[in-house]
Amino acid sequence: MHEMSIAQSLLQMAEDEMTRSGCTRLEKIWVTLGAICGVEPESLKVCFDILVRDTAYAEAKLHIIKLPLRLRCSSCGNIFGGEGQDALWMPCPACGEQLGHVVEQGRELLLNRLEAR
Amino acid sequence: MKIPVVRNVLEANEKMAAHVRDTLTAKDILTLNIISSPGAGKTALLERTLKDLSGEFRMAVIEGDLQTDNDARRVAATGAQAVQINTEGGCHLDSNLVLSALESLDLDHVDILFIENVGNLVCPVEFDCGEDAKVALLSVTEGDDKPEKYPLLFNLAKVLVLNKMDLLPYVDFDLGRACNFATKLNKSLEIFEVSCRNGDGLQQWYAWLRRMRATKQM
Repeated sequence: MHEMSIAQSLLQMAEDEMTRSGCTRLEKIWVTLGAICGVEPESLKVCFDILVRDTAYAEAKLHIIKLPLRLRCSSCGNIFGGEGQDALWMPCPACGEQLGHVVEQGRELLLNRLEAR
Repeated sequence: MKIPVVRNVLEANEKMAAHVRDTLTAKDILTLNIISSPGAGKTALLERTLKDLSGEFRMAVIEGDLQTDNDARRVAATGAQAVQINTEGGCHLDSNLVLSALESLDLDHVDILFIENVGNLVCPVEFDCGEDAKVALLSVTEGDDKPEKYPLLFNLAKVLVLNKMDLLPYVDFDLGRACNFATKLNKSLEIFEVSCRNGDGLQQWYAWLRRMRATKQM
C-alpha cells in the first residue's frame, strides 16, 4: 500500500536530479529493491504509471533491479543468503546457528540512475 | 543524458526523522513507535499504560488513524496529552506527519511519547518516525505465523508485546512458533506476554519502559 508514497518520492528525486542536469523529459528510471525491502515491484510500477500519466513524464519507464538477501551469521560471521525472503529462515550453512542473523543486504530501496533529455 | 544517482528513496523521510529525533532527544523524551495489525490492542495497551503509570511519567500520544478521532478521545480520557493525525486513507505515519503533530504537544512536560501508528504490519515499518524504538504488538487472536509473513517488523523492533493472552486457551495460536520465528529474526528481541483486559504481564512492559526512560536520560 505504501508503494504510492514510494513512487512519489522517486519522482520527486528524479525531478531534483533533472533540474540539476537541465533536463525536462524523463525517459527511464532504475530502482533497486532489496529482497525484504517491503515494496512490491508490480505495485510500485502501477503507482508510478498512475503518477506520470498525463504529465511531462508520461513516457518514462520504471526499471526494477532486484537484490538478493545476504545475511551475516550471528555466531561465526559467515556471509550467506538466497533469492527470496525465505532465506531469512536458513540456518548458517557454516556453523548451523539459527538465530539472529544480521541483514547485510536486502533492505535497499534505491534510486540508481535516470535517463532524461 | 544518463544521470547516475544512487540515492535512498526514503532519504527525505529519514532526514526529517533525524530532525524529529534530535528535537525529542534534546528534551529527554523517550519516543516509541507502536506497530501492529488493526485490532491487536494498541489503544488498549496505551490506555492501561497511561492510567497505571500516570503518577510516574508525563506521557503523550500521537494517534495515527485513517479516519476518526475515536482513539485520541480514548487516550485523552486518561488525562494524557493526545493529538490525532488522520491520514485520510494513508497506510502509515511518516516523520513529516509526526513533526507537525509535535506542534500540538507541550513537549516541555512530556517524559514518554507514544506514536500509535496506523494498524498495518507492512508499510509503517518502512518509515522512520524519529522514534527511539519500535514496539511490535501482536495478539493471540491473529495468526501465529505473523513473524514469518512480516519479518521486517520483528527484525527491527526492540520488543514484542503479545496481547490477549487471556484468550490463549480458546484459540489455536502456537506461542512457541510465533516466538521462535520472531527470535530467529532478532536475537535480542524482548517478548512480554500480556493481557490488556485483565492486566496480566503488564508489569514486565512497565519495567522495560522504566529502563528505556532511564537510559534515555543518561
